[in-house]
Amino acid sequence: MTGGPATASRDWTRDLRDALGYPLTSDARLLSAAVVALATYVILVLSSFPQFSVQVLSTDPTDIGYAVTALTREVYLTTGYLGLALVATYAVLAGVAVTNALALVQRARRRSVSTIVGVLPGLLAAGCASCGAGVLGALGFVGAMAALPFDGNLLRVGGIALLLFFLGRAGDPQTCSLDGGGRA
Amino acid sequence: MDEEGNITRRRALIAGGAVLAFGSGVAYIGSRSGASGQHYVPDTTHAGSGTTGFDVDLDGRPIAGERDAPIDIYYWTDYLCPFCKQFETETLPELGREHLDTGDARLAVLPYPNIGEYSTPAAVWGRCVWSQVADSDPDAFWNWHAAAFAEQPESGTDWADDEMFAAVTEQTAGVDLSAVETCREERGATIRERIEPNVAMAQESRIQGTPGFVLYNRDSGAAGKLVGAHPYENFADAIDQVRRA
Repeated sequence: MTGGPATASRDWTRDLRDALGYPLTSDARLLSAAVVALATYVILVLSSFPQFSVQVLSTDPTDIGYAVTALTREVYLTTGYLGLALVATYAVLAGVAVTNALALVQRARRRSVSTIVGVLPGLLAAGCASCGAGVLGALGFVGAMAALPFDGNLLRVGGIALLLFFLGRAGDPQTCSLDGGGRA
Repeated sequence: MDEEGNITRRRALIAGGAVLAFGSGVAYIGSRSGASGQHYVPDTTHAGSGTTGFDVDLDGRPIAGERDAPIDIYYWTDYLCPFCKQFETETLPELGREHLDTGDARLAVLPYPNIGEYSTPAAVWGRCVWSQVADSDPDAFWNWHAAAFAEQPESGTDWADDEMFAAVTEQTAGVDLSAVETCREERGATIRERIEPNVAMAQESRIQGTPGFVLYNRDSGAAGKLVGAHPYENFADAIDQVRRA
């Protein structure tokens, strides 16, 4: 671990760029990132008013489109464009994070190294997709997020920062190395 | 390994396009205005009396529909709740025409302040406006009710204050602002107290947000619950189920 904070930050930025570019390296990865991003968005939006979502979907699962559009509008009305943009960004980053985490898991399995420590950040990053923007909705109040500082946007920004941090830390899953940020 | 493992221009373009389409789709859905048109004013409105079999206190509350309608719909709402506005503009007009004006059901408006600091004062305004016009011009209450929801801006809860609600009241024909102000001063505390038991009833029915609805068959005692701005079809199904239960 040589180099000052500036070097570390440059490494992190480069790793983040590599991590974000990883889903572009194959059609399957791109597709998996897109599917996970879409699914994450749907889950986050539906979890902003779980009681309503459950009722709509149990009455008629094909109404999922109605539920997602109604609650998308609700998120916009409660938190504005910023809140909506943060949820969408969150979803896209989660798509990347899950795709990268899957690659890390496969790689770990192949090399049979004790890489669980390296895999963890990616998985955590993916798992966090459900902790920042969505989980407060589980309290049941659509207004729960609105009661938080900046209508809950602070929490969403925190969640996104966490995702970016983990993505940058893990870097490109193809070249990620475990010994303190060096690259293979 | 010509393409596999490399970032190709094609994939970069697809990803960029998909992100752009996703972002603009979300922004479009979020910002498009809901269906509106004329707000709903029931054919008949009456003031409730007594406590129902479901233990909801309807004494003096505004109720849309016929007094002897077989189904009660208890509608817990908050003037600061955007989802309630969606119900009011997209579902209530059809629900009213098909089930309230026909005598199938009646809908009682009950406050459930939960969104912002001004939720409770807004509920008091609503109750005082209703008290003032209940006997003389009940339609004025629905006009005021729709106008209050219409004041909800694009985002946030900061819009709601004394000044805004006074302006809505002043602009609604048939409502006397000074009488409403007097009611707020003299009866405000009592009104707040009387909101509590019905909110407790909603919570007991595990309604954790607004809009929340309990549909109650006054003959059989069967009840059903809906939470959120459901499409009209879900209300029609629920009314049908409760009627047959």
